Amino acid sequence: MLLPLLELRAARGRFVLMGTVVLLVAALVGTVSGFTTGLTDDTVSALRRLPATHVAFSPDAKTDQFARSLVDERTLRGWRGQDGLEAAPLGVSLTRGTSDRGAEVDMAAFGVEPGSFLDPGADRGAPLGTEPDGIVISQDLVDEGLRVGDTVVVDRLGIKLPVTGVTGHSAYGHVPVAYLPVDTWQRLRFSTPGAPAGPSAEVPRQYSAIALRADDGAGLTGTDRELGTRTVPLKDSYAAAPGYSGERITMTSIQAFLYVIGPLVVGSFFSVWTVQRQPELALLRALGASRRRLLGHTLLQAGVVVVAGTAAGGALAAGIGLLVGGAVPFSLPAATLLTALAAFALVGLAGTALTLRRVTRSDPMTMLGANR
Amino acid sequence: MSLELSDVTVALGSGDARTTVLDGVCARFSPGTVTALVGPSGSGKSTLLAVAGALLRPDDGQVLLDGRDLAALGDSQRARVRREHIGYMFQSGNLLSGLTAVEQLLAAASIAGRRPRRLRHRAEELLAAVGVGHRLTHRAEQLSGGERQRVALARALLLAPALLLVDEPTAAVDRSQAGTLTELIAASTHEHGCVTVVATHDPAVSEVADHRLDMAALTGAATGARRADQP
Ligand SMILES: Nc1ncnc2c1ncn2[C@@H]1O[C@H](COP(=O)(O)OP(=O)(O)O)[C@@H](O)[C@H]1O
Ligand SMILES: [Mg+2]
Repeated sequence: MLLPLLELRAARGRFVLMGTVVLLVAALVGTVSGFTTGLTDDTVSALRRLPATHVAFSPDAKTDQFARSLVDERTLRGWRGQDGLEAAPLGVSLTRGTSDRGAEVDMAAFGVEPGSFLDPGADRGAPLGTEPDGIVISQDLVDEGLRVGDTVVVDRLGIKLPVTGVTGHSAYGHVPVAYLPVDTWQRLRFSTPGAPAGPSAEVPRQYSAIALRADDGAGLTGTDRELGTRTVPLKDSYAAAPGYSGERITMTSIQAFLYVIGPLVVGSFFSVWTVQRQPELALLRALGASRRRLLGHTLLQAGVVVVAGTAAGGALAAGIGLLVGGAVPFSLPAATLLTALAAFALVGLAGTALTLRRVTRSDPMTMLGANR
Repeated sequence: MSLELSDVTVALGSGDARTTVLDGVCARFSPGTVTALVGPSGSGKSTLLAVAGALLRPDDGQVLLDGRDLAALGDSQRARVRREHIGYMFQSGNLLSGLTAVEQLLAAASIAGRRPRRLRHRAEELLAAVGVGHRLTHRAEQLSGGERQRVALARALLLAPALLLVDEPTAAVDRSQAGTLTELIAASTHEHGCVTVVATHDPAVSEVADHRLDMAALTGAATGARRADQP
């Protein structure tokens, strides 16, 4: 134990420098994974919390399905007639409104049938269906200035939506979600600005999609063919959320780069360091240190640098999260951070493995060469 | 513990540069005696020490340390012999950079599997005995050439090895220091009963030694008749 620590101290300048580089890359890893989680959350948390297993769209919509797909009531009845599953209509559209207290908000309007399995209920206030056109807003809309008792007037359409309840965090495509009774949603989705609004107006009985709760996905393709729908597992429907795929590709590729940069940086540091201390390594071998032991020393030193640097980088990332978390979609749960950093530390150590051969190859006989 | 070389042949270098440095060398060294290995530069003194010190495996012949043939041992076994039984002061390049004089000794102790903390006092004593007691916390880079060699000698003596190999101990020190070092080597050889071989071209050293072994008499045709410990 003594020797590797003495060596660390002897070369502390270089090790601190190296540790700092590891720290910064690790902080970047942590920050990027915070943004990845945060952005994903902000894009699909509303879909993620749907208590459904599958979503059936109309077959014409290939991308951005929640906005493009339309299914009618006959299809809904068809799905409801199937054994082994539950079906509930779902409407999704983006809108904006102004509250009677002057708060201007963007909302992702999720139309659900009150009492169906998609009904989010209410953590505070009253659930859907207690008041005509009453809506339940997500916590995110509370943060934007709405509260129970407010009435939101949908811009240009003039539809009045009294806020009756509040449910937890829910966002779709970076827009906070409000849950509406599905017939209210249909009015909102299919009304024309300027046209008379109100319960009397005739609107199509259509939905964006049908949420399914199926025991297993086996029989769904047959029903799809029969009813003319395209059913995907709930997870696959995330890609239908605006921006989801692009964000994922961006963030994943940044992370991938960091996971390559980390081990390369650590590996090249140790390879340079090993070359520089060949005379010391030869002397240690001449004094009787085994190859195994020199390997162990190098690994221990790499471990100290990588683990300390990564831990400090993680702390920095968490600090950054605390600073910016309110302003941008950043979410860094401890488990996510720890997983990302543990993976980073592991690949960092793997980088050292690249240099291990050089450590063991040092020849004690060069001591004899140094003799003349 | 005794050391015996029999028919040791070593060729160094490769291709055109390959030269036979030791050719059928036979020599025996007894415990508790200092043997001075003398000969001009390039005569193979350092090479012979390296063979005896389990650093260099001879191309032919046996190196018997207490009856065990070092030449037949594998790489890791020779490393083990080195750390457990051999104290070696190399001709140069002895110290680990960045470490203090005391740490040089403690590092060696730790390689040999000994508790460095227990040996600190002994290490400081030895450093004082070789005349660098005032340089205990100087790092290798802060020591002069002579001081480094003396630290290396203290390190070789630290664990009271069975085989003590010293390469040119007086090359970088003045006369009076040379005397001190030679006496120290002789004293600890007699006290611990180790086999000691000192490579030197310094007559002052060979005068103090119990035996004197001339490289010129060792190399050449192998007869096996020359014995180091025969007067
Ligand atoms: N790697 C090598 N290749 C070729 N010759 C070598 C090599 N190493 C040492 N020698 C030769 O071996 C001879 C003995 O060297 P050495 O044992 O250091 O002598 P000494 O210690 O007596 O000065 C020298 O002539 C040297 O040139
Ligand atoms: Mg020499």
